[in-house]
Amino acid sequence: MSTTYVWWAIAIYVLASLFVAYLSRSGKQTSMSSYFIGDRKLNGFVSALSYSATTYSAFMLVGLAGLTYMGGVGALGFELIYLMGVSLVAFFGPRFWLVGKKYGYVTPSEMLGDRYDNKAVAIVVSISSCLFLIPYSAVQLAGVGYLLQGMTDNAISFTTGVIIATVLAIVFSFIAGIRSVAWTDSLQSLFMIITSTVVVIIIISKLGGLGDFLHTLETDHYELLTVPGNGFWSFTTFLGMTIPWFFFSLSNPQVSQRLYMPKSLKSLRTMLMGFMIFGFIYTMVAIVWGFSAAIKFPGLENADLATPLLLSSDLIPPILGAIVMVGIMAAAVSTIDSILLTLSSLFARDVYGNLKKGATDTMQLRVGKIVIPIIAILAFLFAKLQVNLIAVLSVASSAGLLVVVPAIIGTFFWKRGTAAGVLTSVIIGGLIVIMIELTQIKPFGLASGIWGIVISTLLYVIVSLLTKAPVKKANEFLGYIKTALKNESR
Amino acid sequence: MKTNEWKWALAIFIIILLAYILPYTIFTGVAKWYGSLLLWIVLTLIVIGINYFISRNWGK
Repeated sequence: MSTTYVWWAIAIYVLASLFVAYLSRSGKQTSMSSYFIGDRKLNGFVSALSYSATTYSAFMLVGLAGLTYMGGVGALGFELIYLMGVSLVAFFGPRFWLVGKKYGYVTPSEMLGDRYDNKAVAIVVSISSCLFLIPYSAVQLAGVGYLLQGMTDNAISFTTGVIIATVLAIVFSFIAGIRSVAWTDSLQSLFMIITSTVVVIIIISKLGGLGDFLHTLETDHYELLTVPGNGFWSFTTFLGMTIPWFFFSLSNPQVSQRLYMPKSLKSLRTMLMGFMIFGFIYTMVAIVWGFSAAIKFPGLENADLATPLLLSSDLIPPILGAIVMVGIMAAAVSTIDSILLTLSSLFARDVYGNLKKGATDTMQLRVGKIVIPIIAILAFLFAKLQVNLIAVLSVASSAGLLVVVPAIIGTFFWKRGTAAGVLTSVIIGGLIVIMIELTQIKPFGLASGIWGIVISTLLYVIVSLLTKAPVKKANEFLGYIKTALKNESR
Repeated sequence: MKTNEWKWALAIFIIILLAYILPYTIFTGVAKWYGSLLLWIVLTLIVIGINYFISRNWGK
């Protein structure tokens, strides 16, 4: 693909995003709540688009398309089970939102710390989030590097690509905090979905229309239409991949923090429904993408090459190929900047705010802003180093974050849950996930995420039953939710 | 949780169970577009519809 096209597409994308980020600066962001959660005043439409951009990364058109290429329709089941799991927001969303507003929570870990009446809970949960999410961001950054390098035949180097992505993520989150992130996310999500959908329509029509496309799959690649099919999607693999993602909307702070931001429950609803529709379309696009690559270029050894090959093939006009490539880059950047902002808020609010005596809101905000570039640079260094452990932690991220799920469910549905239960489940569960990923010893053939959720649930329940629950706080917290829900849904 | 919330939760739970079981049992030999491909799409659309109903009265 012509490097000139790629540079032009990147330049236009950067200018348009900067313009939107600049426009988003309204009002003063002088408090933690305004900088990190937009004063709980985000409208539903922007919330939905931003939630979509944050959730969907470069993984969709590269990784998921690759999984489809390799193993077929199981990839669709995997991604759609994740999407069905977002139904958790229909139950937890209003509860997060109500207590967030009532108690002024800025981060999900702050909520856990308060509900379990123990500062160590907030500190440990936020540190474990950083531990798993920084490597995850690093892999996203590296993804941009590989994409640009691969698409331009090394004319744009890996390092240049990683630097561009890092700088953009810092700038988008720094200009106006969550406001610039949400607005640039919205622009990027529209860009991602429109360009990729157009390309998929073009590809299908070039392959003879939908009827021919499905017919070719049924006759020449029938093993891609069933599970386990060619064996890739064995049931244990399917289970091991879907379980961590099913709980993604609760376990990942960069998305669960979003539940505090909409300006009303009506906006929260728009966010949920808008995201589900966006997710459904984007998933279909990625799956068709992978199937098309299987039809057009069967027999590749490295499935991650399916997308770059498709983009530079004669099926797609070169200019459009460059635009879609930038769309994939936008998907990565819009995920990284949100993670960056969330991790900074976790560090400032839960680690610094709890460890430093008398840390005011203003001091926390100052620390949060200083931490943004530091976390970005850490992710950048990890992306450059390509250390083995980083890859392990990144793969383990969805499984590692899963261990906090029992504590989150207990926050809203189990009065007997205790701080000791949370701490043991998160610490021991997290260590077990890392151990399994490092040694690759999988007891009974089950993946780390499944062990993570089972062990952390057991530990949370047993240790909670053995220790004393924060009865007063639990009653007050759950009592408030009960009355507020009644009032809201009258 | 309110009673109707439990009902919706149960409905979603059953649909998700089907999304795990059916493709690996009765659809495992159906290598057609109307096999697992269509099944997962339909189940997801039903779940999206349920979410629409659960959140219908939010903020009203």
